[in-house]
Amino acid sequence: MEDYPEELRTPPVPLVSIVGCPELHASISAALSIQQPPMNTLALPDFSKANILSRTAKNRDPLAPPQAPSGILKKDWLLKHRTRVPAAVAALFRADQVSGDPAQWLQACSDLENLKSIIQGRHSKLVVILVQAQAGDELGEEVTVALRKRAEIDSKNLIVLVQNDETERNKSLLKLMSVFAELCSTYYKEEGRRIKARIEKRNFSSVELSVRYCFKVAVYAEFRRDWPEALKFYEEGIRVLREMIGTSTRLPPAQRLVEIKAVADQFHFKISTLLLHAGKVVEAITWFRKHIRSFERVIGSPEVAFLHWEWFSRQFLVFGELIETTSTTVPDTLSPRFGTADNALTEWEFQPAYYYQLAANYLREKRCALECSSSGANLTGDNGIPDSIMPSVYVGQYVRLFEQGDTISVLPLSDTEYTSYALSEAERFQDSYEIIALFRKAYESFQSLGGTRMASSCSAGMAIEYYAAGDFSNAKQLFDVVAGLYRQEGWTTLLWEILGYLRECSRKLNSLMDFISYSLEMAALPLFSDRVQSFSENKSKSGPAGWPTISRREDIQEEVVNILERKHTPEVVDGEFNLQLTEDNAHLDIDQISPLRIVLVASVAFHDQSVKPGSPLLVSVSLLSHLPSPVAVDQLEVQFNQPDCNFVMVSTEEGSSGLNSHFHGQVVQSTSLTLFSNKWMRLTHEIKSGQSGKLECLSVKAIINKRLVVCCQAESPASMEDFPLWKFEDQVETLPAKDAALAFSGQKLIQVEELDAQVDLVLDSNGPALVGELFVVPVTILSKGHAVHSGELKINLVDAKGGGLLMSPRETEESETHHVELIGVSTVAGDEVSKDEVDSIRKIQYSFGVVSVPTLGVGDSWSCKLEIKWHGAKSVMLYVSLGYSLDSSEDAALHRLNVHRSLQVEGKIPMIVGHQFLRPFRRAPLLLSRIRSSSGDDKKDSLAMNESNMLIVSARNCTEVPLRLHSMAIESDGDGMQLCSVEQISGISDEYAVVAPNAEYKGIFSVNPRAINPNFYLGEICVNWSRDLHLGENEDSHVIMKQRLPEVHIEEPPLLVSIECPPYAILGIPFTFYVKIHNSTSLLQEIKYSLVDSQNFVFSGAHNHAAFILPKTEHTFSHKLVPLGSGSQPLPRITVTSVRYSAALSPPTAATTVFVYPSEPKFNLEKSHSRSDECVS
Amino acid sequence: MIVCVAVVGHQNNPLYLQSFTEADDALKLHHVVHCSLDVIDERVNNPKRNAPTLNETFLGLLYPTENYKVYGYLTNTKVKFLMVTTDLDVKDADARNFFRKFHAAYVDAVSNPFHVPGKKIASRSFGARVSTIVKSFGSGTTV
Repeated sequence: MEDYPEELRTPPVPLVSIVGCPELHASISAALSIQQPPMNTLALPDFSKANILSRTAKNRDPLAPPQAPSGILKKDWLLKHRTRVPAAVAALFRADQVSGDPAQWLQACSDLENLKSIIQGRHSKLVVILVQAQAGDELGEEVTVALRKRAEIDSKNLIVLVQNDETERNKSLLKLMSVFAELCSTYYKEEGRRIKARIEKRNFSSVELSVRYCFKVAVYAEFRRDWPEALKFYEEGIRVLREMIGTSTRLPPAQRLVEIKAVADQFHFKISTLLLHAGKVVEAITWFRKHIRSFERVIGSPEVAFLHWEWFSRQFLVFGELIETTSTTVPDTLSPRFGTADNALTEWEFQPAYYYQLAANYLREKRCALECSSSGANLTGDNGIPDSIMPSVYVGQYVRLFEQGDTISVLPLSDTEYTSYALSEAERFQDSYEIIALFRKAYESFQSLGGTRMASSCSAGMAIEYYAAGDFSNAKQLFDVVAGLYRQEGWTTLLWEILGYLRECSRKLNSLMDFISYSLEMAALPLFSDRVQSFSENKSKSGPAGWPTISRREDIQEEVVNILERKHTPEVVDGEFNLQLTEDNAHLDIDQISPLRIVLVASVAFHDQSVKPGSPLLVSVSLLSHLPSPVAVDQLEVQFNQPDCNFVMVSTEEGSSGLNSHFHGQVVQSTSLTLFSNKWMRLTHEIKSGQSGKLECLSVKAIINKRLVVCCQAESPASMEDFPLWKFEDQVETLPAKDAALAFSGQKLIQVEELDAQVDLVLDSNGPALVGELFVVPVTILSKGHAVHSGELKINLVDAKGGGLLMSPRETEESETHHVELIGVSTVAGDEVSKDEVDSIRKIQYSFGVVSVPTLGVGDSWSCKLEIKWHGAKSVMLYVSLGYSLDSSEDAALHRLNVHRSLQVEGKIPMIVGHQFLRPFRRAPLLLSRIRSSSGDDKKDSLAMNESNMLIVSARNCTEVPLRLHSMAIESDGDGMQLCSVEQISGISDEYAVVAPNAEYKGIFSVNPRAINPNFYLGEICVNWSRDLHLGENEDSHVIMKQRLPEVHIEEPPLLVSIECPPYAILGIPFTFYVKIHNSTSLLQEIKYSLVDSQNFVFSGAHNHAAFILPKTEHTFSHKLVPLGSGSQPLPRITVTSVRYSAALSPPTAATTVFVYPSEPKFNLEKSHSRSDECVS
Repeated sequence: MIVCVAVVGHQNNPLYLQSFTEADDALKLHHVVHCSLDVIDERVNNPKRNAPTLNETFLGLLYPTENYKVYGYLTNTKVKFLMVTTDLDVKDADARNFFRKFHAAYVDAVSNPFHVPGKKIASRSFGARVSTIVKSFGSGTTV
């Protein structure tokens, strides 16, 4: 757009001129330029300068016949009207110039006359301005009238300008402006009408003038801002211009076209600008289409075709730029149904990118045409470019300056001269960079609009230009991106073209691997359609690779093979091509997303899903290539993640034994390893894996033509994707394996199972565990067929009822809360080791431990003992697992074998310990606390001070095994010892007492408290027990079980009643029965006493009695009794009542029973003793 | 004159593309057809603006480029038909009529039990029928 002259690019602004009074010019022109619409001012300081306004005289004989114009438009016409031909001229006179001095008046008059005569030829309007210094300066009416008459103007065109008074001056300036505006409008209207009249009367001698008149009328209309009229005449002008192409004969044909197009260009630019600035986008685009269509085919002779394409490209570029600068949007009123009868326009036509892209395309066309033309010109050897050719005064014309002595004449050019001039001019420009810039603009714009295909088409355009300009690395980069899209969408023909360029780029960049891979990809491309083969192979139209055909594909493959075999191809002769294999091998990697998958794909499937180590497994390797010619594979190397399984297949045809000398895996000879186009080559091989774990096929390496190593990532048939480009081909799909199940679900990886562990792990246990004891679980590891290396025994204790851990995680800190605890592991061999182990176990966790197992040979065994302690009755699962490896090497350490065993162990409480307090026989203390809480719900036992109280402790064996009771004792703390003596009355006489299951053992203690204490802690019952095992086993595993005795209340009894009675009586023989009451208080105690009759006894003495007992004395009641019946008889019931304490004591029945013999018994003393013992117990 | 017709599949892959020119622009036609898919995407993915055309299979003029005009058609199974012509004035009715016939031919071709949907159309009779339809374009005769 910048190529156009300024006057064409901006709307015309009316021009006025002011003459005289130069000091006022600045303010007047400033005022005029800020007016709406603005006016330009041509300021002339004095009247002598007015001559420049005069029309250049044309020395034309008015009577001579009108000459045909020698051009359509003069270049400077518009500029002249914008800068030199004012619509109105204002003559400024000072008031003192016109009044007073007659000489001055005469001068003013002559100036005015002179000015009038100058502007008359231009039809410019005249304004007279009288400048007053003050508003008050009165001018005579006659002066103004005289001046007006002199100037021959209306009264309104004479303006008085007050110079020094600002408000007055502004007022008069405003008036001046409105007068100017009116006069300008009149001037341009009149001028326009004058020329329009010529058009309407068809009063012109040639069609050129018609175009010129149209242009002038339109420009005058633009001066008046009458846009519709301007548009109308511009359109009319271009119509006439288009018609002129066939009719005009003024110039030689090539130059004629150039001139017409140059003028049409200006018209088009004006029309587009007017339409777009008026917001008429649809009209503008429709107009553009029409314009393009009418000039599309006006190419002219082939030698100057490039001029047409350049011009044509400019039309698009300019229109695109106009659309971009006016920031056009699709109008809302437009029907959204683009491209249909409702709305003939399409979306892209509203986008500048569309025009840029086409501009670039046409510029490329120009480049091609130019190349043709210049090569043609060079061939003819016509270099006669005349000197001093320059643009003429007419738009689009060129002339030659001819100097002859001092006279310089202008000569027209012949077409040949012009063509060579245009060629030489055109060759000076680098079109490529312009094309790239245009494509880039379009690319960025399309990219942002989401038109990826358009964008990549632009990208391809850029790349081709880079390629043409010899910038191969840039070209390659762009082509690579474009190829990606075509690959993705399967446009093979387009991909073929791009790959052809890429191939050439890599050839030029000397990149052999790229060349090979692009060539192979091209050779493996599917063909779109065979029917277009008949077209001639024009490389400019279908890229350097020509049109895709089978034979082209084969040629390309052959070319690669030749390079690999270091044969010289005919193309080497072309020159630069010097691709040589510098290294021994060329290496290509093909993975699942590589575009080269169509060249070679490897599908690997194991026939099984899992296998035992060491047993043979079958693996199928299938290869497929889409290359058109058969490919002979020299060697096929299949690689696994376990390198021991790798194997190589070698084609026997080639006999290339030298290739695999370095290979340490299996080598298999195969008859033929030739891949035919689109046919699976299926190979099945048996391998063995000695290692457990995952066995995965990683890659298949094919060596082709001894030098090309193609490394294909192995793919599972089950998850194999379609071939990106071949999947659309209408052909029978083949499967990688004959077995359909394998073809659809085969996997490239297999699970090699672990070896069966040949080590036995034995957990032993002897019944349930008892709480408190150190329960021992022997663990034995017995190697049956495997040596155990770096073995490790893991022990885990888990709650059998579920819930995993034996305690909640929060409790882990406190060892008391562990119900079950792993205390240690003792090995049979060395205790020192186990000590360490114990420490380490404690450090880890109470329910978990790890023990290392020494290296064991085959047949060896090792055992250890787990020591577990139960703190509560709980059932746990004991899990023991042995992990080991077969040998001590690093590699084997990764593959460990594991043996797991578990055992449920019940934890039981061994003994239930109970106790009971008893008082001495027939001796009852009157205890106050007892009396007060007669209800008997007092849990606390009361003991009498200074009396011997009995404590019976019973231990019941509640297990199923006999237990040994080693000792039973009451352990009290220091205070308790002093305040209360506890003596064992009966206990374990031997070393230990065996308590059978469910049996009970009782121990008797006498407790003699010596101090009063309401909450006396007597101590703990300590029971020392062990399992009743045979000799030699766990001699020292005594367990001490402690149970705390409840607190007791020790009181001093105020009264103590003892009943004294012989141990037995004999029927009929009287005996004395005493009741002794001891007052241990320091008070006098009144006692009431009553005795109830008993039918088996007669007695003497009072039934009721009362007595006073002095402090610290004893009172005795005695009764003589005669038994009347034999057997165990209750004595008469005694009740002793203390009046002070209102407490009555009736001794228990057991204490008041006596056995009556019918006659004097005869028994020895010992027996009676033991009997009394029994009685007590 | 119709210079090219194409059938484009779901993944914007060409299923059938046939050019009918004597000139060397077969490759250019591939480019033109490929680029016009952008316009189809734009029209199809912009349903707000194209509310009345929701059930319309004929997409109209996609874009004019150089001396070609590309017309589009979208079947209900989202297969795209494209037609490239060099005619300056193409009547909507003619284009619609062409696509209607072309669609019928396509339906017949893919109804062949040996045709795998989504693969290229290699049927010769389809090609022959398309040639006839192309030749009769604009002449108003029916096939």
